[in-house]
Parts: sequence; structure tokens; C-alpha cells
Amino acid sequence: MMMQPTRCTNDKPGDPGYEEHLAAFEARVGRGDKVEPGDWMPCEYRQQLIRLIHVHANSEICGALPEGGWIPHAPTFKRKLALCAKVQDEVGHGQLLYRAAETLGKSREEMIEELINGKAKYSNVFHYHAKTWADVCVIAWLIDAAAIVNQTMMADGSYGPYGRALKRICYEEAFHLTHGYDMCISLATGSKVQREMLQDAVNRWWEPIMMFHGPSDKESKHTEQLMKWRIKLMTNDEQRQTFLKKYLPKMLNLGLTVPDPNLHFDEATKEWRYTEPNWKRFLEVVRGNGPASALRLATRRMAHEEGAWVRRALAAAQAGDKVPMPTAA
Amino acid sequence: MSTDTQWRVFEVFHQQSRGEPHIHVGSVHATDGESALLMAKEQFGRRQACVNMWVVPADAITETAYEDADIFEHGTDKSYREAFGYETTKRARAIGDTRDI
Amino acid sequence: MPTEAVQPSVTPAVRSAVIDLLYRLADDSVILGHRNSEWTGLGPILEEDIAFSSMAQDKLGHAQALYTLLHELGEPAPDANAFLRTTEQYRCCELVALARADWAFSLVRQFFFSEADRIRFELLSQSAFEPLAQLARKLHGELKYHVMHGRMWMKRFGQGTAEGRERIQTAINAVYPHALGMFESTAQDEAIAAHRIGPSESEMQDRWENEGGTVLSDAGLTVPKNVKPVYGGRAGKHGPELAALLESMQRVYRIDPNTQW
Repeated sequence: MMMQPTRCTNDKPGDPGYEEHLAAFEARVGRGDKVEPGDWMPCEYRQQLIRLIHVHANSEICGALPEGGWIPHAPTFKRKLALCAKVQDEVGHGQLLYRAAETLGKSREEMIEELINGKAKYSNVFHYHAKTWADVCVIAWLIDAAAIVNQTMMADGSYGPYGRALKRICYEEAFHLTHGYDMCISLATGSKVQREMLQDAVNRWWEPIMMFHGPSDKESKHTEQLMKWRIKLMTNDEQRQTFLKKYLPKMLNLGLTVPDPNLHFDEATKEWRYTEPNWKRFLEVVRGNGPASALRLATRRMAHEEGAWVRRALAAAQAGDKVPMPTAA
Repeated sequence: MSTDTQWRVFEVFHQQSRGEPHIHVGSVHATDGESALLMAKEQFGRRQACVNMWVVPADAITETAYEDADIFEHGTDKSYREAFGYETTKRARAIGDTRDI
Repeated sequence: MPTEAVQPSVTPAVRSAVIDLLYRLADDSVILGHRNSEWTGLGPILEEDIAFSSMAQDKLGHAQALYTLLHELGEPAPDANAFLRTTEQYRCCELVALARADWAFSLVRQFFFSEADRIRFELLSQSAFEPLAQLARKLHGELKYHVMHGRMWMKRFGQGTAEGRERIQTAINAVYPHALGMFESTAQDEAIAAHRIGPSESEMQDRWENEGGTVLSDAGLTVPKNVKPVYGGRAGKHGPELAALLESMQRVYRIDPNTQW
């Protein structure tokens, strides 16, 4: 079977032959070789990847909700089409990512059920409400920008199926970023109402955006092991700096201000300094106690439950039947 | 275990233009081949050019194991299978054949 | 803002007829596209979510192209036309405006609409109004996919569980009177036929009943008999659902119609 999970044996410390397997595995990863589904891999590598890809897939599916809610209100055909296509892409990315995680041995059924039962996490930024049209613009520009920093890095990681999915995702998200920036330029160069709307959105979204790449390196518990196995190639703080270096000047150029009095560029280290986000609050939010957490989960659960009869009904359909084609050429 | 079903998995191959080979692009969950094609058309064909698409039930594919990748390695010199394994151009010149071989 | 040049060969009578027809087509497209786009992110399975969203985008794109033809005949620009007109000014049929309800309802609506849409645009590819004929030819492939999609699902539900068949049959019964409303005629229908701008509504309805009916009966589903069509939409007489939809759709644009969004 192609790209189907193979459970490997002796994949835990203490198992017979584990150390030899591990040495060969780490040598392969160290060379920059990719790991494929049928390969021996440490149980811990498999579990960390499942956790990471599952959260990533959930984030795409839940990320479709705050923006999806604005498709009906998008002003102009161009915006309506682009927003619909962007949210559709997020669903598509969820599909690609669940599929990548499935190659590690966890089914899409299980992953979706863990999500709707509140047992699996998704990105902090989707636990907040999108209150105005400007929120949609800020999400599309800055959150997609932050996500692209993360995903471009992860695309070079050691696990083949995840890397392949991410390469496709990064290609598709290039349009999200461009469209998001385009919308923000419209608001920033538009009427007073539009400019105020945009600044208000930036004020509310700044903290969640600064939290997006995860706890600072001092607090992040998984980073070291993930980097050794080349699942991650940059620390959370490095990703945050990359994001700030590229996008903060663009924000300032649009005449936007950022609600952090400590934010400044340190000429000595060539890095941005900022107020450390409240990581306790971050953990509270991703555990499901953010302002919109309950709504997101309820919406996702309702969509899943309302679609159950469709999945059941079709499970019984006959294989191999031809679709009757339109009669005309 | 989950009581839900997300249906079976089909691997998807697309051909970007006539004359090109079909290339694996990903997979979809579907009930059968026909519906898998209609789903794959939008998941994998909504941006890039495509003139033909295949779907194959994932469980119909048999693959080699990565640990057996060494069966593709050559134990001895197999350059006799390649054009570059020969010095015939030099030899042809020596017998007065100056044209391409 | 009637700025664009009217086709030199277009007489006032033809022009009125074309405009009447284009508004019906464009309004149907934008409203159905809007309704179906509401499903993006909420579909019954990820793959179908993506497919359904693509078809919604197709319909929004068709609307934009049709409003562009209207603009070339002196009507407002596409955005202003769709985002500023009132409920009474809309000429869509009631079918497309109905709230999305459950997925069976939305799927069946899309099936009935696609079957009609493909017949309509296939016949319009012979329109004497050449810009419309050209557009109709360009939409051929997308509409063909919509029909394939709808037929695939109908056939699958027909073969699936009793629960699935029942839900789809219930939706067919609920949607059908409104679907017949797609073919409501207007005062311009004679002129449209006389000037060979487009097919007659009754000709299209006959083909639609025949082709769509065959798909359903082959799938083991039943086409309702002796149903009274729901008319009014083509004359601007709409139920409360279109008004609610337009309020939602135009809300942000109307904050400032003269700015860039």
C-alpha cells in the first residue's frame, strides 16, 4: 500500500536494538535525507509529528470559520471571490495535512473527533472573534504572513509527506498574503472610517499575532528535540524575529501604530525588542478558554454532526458506477 | 475507535498536458472512483493546468519497502547499459567515421 | 453612469430585451453564488466542501461577467449594480434566494439549477447578441462540471441508505415548486425569441424536466407531479429571504460605495 502507515517495532528507548536504529535514523536526518512513512522512526518522533500536523490541520479547519463568516459581507466581487477562494484553500490545506498525519497511523476520523470533542488544540489566533471587515484584512495579511514564515521553514523538515503538503500549501498561500496586503493598503489609504477600522483591528490583533509562533524559547518545552530531528528548523523566537523584520516596517509604512510601548529595533543586535507576551494567557487560550473558543468548537461540531448522514448514506454507495454525463457535447 | 466514516482513500495523479506523464499529486477521501475524480478535480485541479486525471484506490497499490532501497543499487559496474559507457566515438573517428554515431 | 458604447447594431427594442434577460441571468448567478458560498468551511466532508465552494465561486464569476455585459450596455458597473440595488430591483427567481437550510436542500437546489443553467447557456451560445453568445461558450466547461457533480450525488444518494434517500427526496419535494419558478416568463420573452436573443422559457423547461427527471428517476428518486410553480421573482416580488440576503451582502460596501475596498 502506498503512503500507508506501518507501525514499527522496537521504537522506544530500552527496546532491543533501539539505540542502533536511532543512530541510523539520526544519521539519515542529519544528512538532510527525508523520512518516509514506511521507515523505522522513533515512537517519539512519530508522536510529535502527529501532534504537530494534527494541530496544524485543525488550525486550517478552524481558521476557515472566522473568515468564512465574512464571505457573505465581502464588499465587491473581487473581495468576495478572493475571500471565498482563501477560505476554500484553508479547507483544502486541512485536507492535505490530515492526509499527511494519516501516513503516521492516525485516521482522519479520530483526528476530527478529537477536535470537535475539545481534546486537540488549534492555533491561538482562531480563538478570537473577527469583529469587523478590517479584522478579515489583518488576518489575511499578518496572520497569513506569520503562518508562511512558519510553514516555509517546516516545509524543509525531515518528514517527507508533511514537507510535500507544506510546499503545496506555501504555493497557494502566496495569494492569501498578497490579497491580504492589498486589502490593508485599500483601508490604510482610504477614508477616515477605513483607516480607523484598520488601526482598531491591528490594536486588537497585535497580541494574538505576537503569540502566534508559540512560547518564547525560554519556555518552549518541545523545541530542542524537534530541532534535533529536523521537524522544526527555527525556534519560536527566531520565527517571530523573521516575521517582525519583514512585516513591521510594512505596517509602519502604512501609517499604522503598534500597541506596544516597548517595541523598538535594537541596532546592536539587529533585532526587534518587544514586551514579552503573557504566555500564561496564551496557554489558557489554546486550551479552549479564548473569547471565541466555545463558538468555534460548537460551529465545527455542528457542521460535522449535520454532515454525518451524508457520510453514512454514501458509505453504502456502489463502487465503479459511471456518472451519467450531460447529453450535449 | 471512531464511529464516523471519512470514506476510503484514493491516490490522485494528474497530467498537465498531452504528452506529459501522469504525476502523483496527493490523495482524496471518497466512496468510489467516479466521485473521487470529481472531488480530486477541485482539490488538485483548481489552479494548475490539467488535461487528464487518474484516481487509484490507495489499497490497490503495492510498494517496495524503503529498507529494501538497496535492491536498486548496483553491486558491479553497469555502465555497459548506458551510452556513456562506451568510447565508440573515439574508435569511430579512428576508422574515419566523422559523423554522429 | 451610462458611459460605455452600446453595440452599434443594437436597436432600442433589442437592447431592452437583452438587458431584461441579462439581469435575470446575472441576479440568479450572484444570489446562488452567495448562498452556496455560505457553505465554505461547513460542508459534510472536506473534499465536497472544496468542490461546492468552487461552484459557488464559478457562479459569482458568471455574475460578474454578466454584469460587465450590462455595464457595456450602459447599466451601472458590476460592483455598484450588485451591491447597491434594492430587493425590488432584483430579478432573480425565488429558488436562489431561499436560505441554505440543510445540505440536502442546498445540494438539490444546486442540482436543479445546474441542469437548467447548462441548457440555458448551451442555447445562449447561439444568441444573436454576440457578446452573450461568446460568454456562454466560455462557461461551457464549468457548467458541465456542475452538472456532473449534481448527477453524481443524486445517483449516489439513490443507491445509498434509506436515510439519505429520504432526506434527498424531502429536499426535492421542498425545492421543486421554486425550481419551476426559474422559468417564469417576463414581458420581454416575445422580443427575446423574436430577435433570437435567447430560447423561450417553455422550451428550456421542457428540456429541463426531461433531462433532470431522467437523472432522478434513474437514481430511484421521484419527481413531484402537478406542482404549482412559485413565481414573482422575475417581476421583483420577493420573499423576506432575499431582503435579508442583500442586507448581509451589501452591508460593508454600503458603508462607503465611493471608496476602494
